[in-house]
Amino acid sequence: MLTSLYVEGESWFHRIPVRVKLVALVALSVALFATDSPFLLLPAFLLSGWLYLTLGLPLREALSRVGFVFFTILFLAAVNLFLVPVPQVAALVLRLMALVLFAAAVTATTTIGAFMDEVTVLLRPLERLGLLRAADVGLALGLVLRFVPDIFARYQALAEAHRARGLPLRPLTIIGPLIILTLRDADTIAAAIDARGFRRQ
Amino acid sequence: MNTRDLVLIALFTAIIVVLGLVPPITLGFIPVPITAQSMGVMLAGCIIGAKRGGLAFLLLVLLVAIGLPVLSGGRGGLAVLAGPSGGFIIGWAVAAFVTGLVAEHFVKPQTSEASQFAGFFFASILGGIVVLYGIGVPWLSAITGTPLLAAATGSLVFIPGDLLKAAIATLAARAVYAGYPLLPARA
Repeated sequence: MLTSLYVEGESWFHRIPVRVKLVALVALSVALFATDSPFLLLPAFLLSGWLYLTLGLPLREALSRVGFVFFTILFLAAVNLFLVPVPQVAALVLRLMALVLFAAAVTATTTIGAFMDEVTVLLRPLERLGLLRAADVGLALGLVLRFVPDIFARYQALAEAHRARGLPLRPLTIIGPLIILTLRDADTIAAAIDARGFRRQ
Repeated sequence: MNTRDLVLIALFTAIIVVLGLVPPITLGFIPVPITAQSMGVMLAGCIIGAKRGGLAFLLLVLLVAIGLPVLSGGRGGLAVLAGPSGGFIIGWAVAAFVTGLVAEHFVKPQTSEASQFAGFFFASILGGIVVLYGIGVPWLSAITGTPLLAAATGSLVFIPGDLLKAAIATLAARAVYAGYPLLPARA
């Protein structure tokens, strides 16, 4: 149900460590926002696009992943045409699309596990301050992935109950019961986690 | 944070993910179907409170960032955060926190039913609309170069729909509050 956006592959971009890719993404966004010159932005856009399209994703899937964001960018660019000079609009479109394509390439070539290792490293300062525990973040993440299918099944049961009674699906009659039924399990789940000593407290 | 709070946060994040998976719901009297996920901010703040609601959305942002398609329409990944509406997604956490703060302040077990409704509605509007747009719109303007005033005027189109969502979230939050109150519980 929740399949990661990672795409298996053996490209050179797959083999670069996550940290390097994330630093590159941050550096790229800083660099792209520092310039308005189309002579820098156009190559950046073409390179990001080439990188993203050569990762082994089918073209259709590749485009549908960035389609919605591109739509927003183009819509805002169309609005901008009336408000700011044309060269600036072109710079904006190229810059944002380059950034989005590069970000999509990082997402497509990095596994959840690799990301989580990096998140754990990034959380270490907070952990040292005693604000949170990295293990808790991992546990919470696992719980979400574990319970999404359950909650979805519960939604379908509620929707079927509506249909059986000939009632239309209304947000109120679905969301209320869905939330109460789900959150009511919190105590049992928490007891189960503590009983297994997952959090060592 | 105790284990129960952690579980409540994770379960609420999972609910928000599911609300993005289900087909948009039509209301009957308006033609445009609404995405249930977009009510998540208001629901999280009003139902599990400021701290847990805010953390539930931070967890959602983390899920988006590590490449899970958890947003409505199967969107996700760093590309969504890098796009023009990235500010709204980051802003969700703050918006849920503020919604929770206001709800905790105004809604108490001893207050009358009418003022509980009013409290949830006010919290949803302040957190889910004012704070959210207060973060998302300047962000969008900074990233796209659209003048702030134009971006703000343009987003007024969404306000009627958001008010409707606030109303639905109010009714749902009040129903949960009556059936299984979590808002004041500081375990």
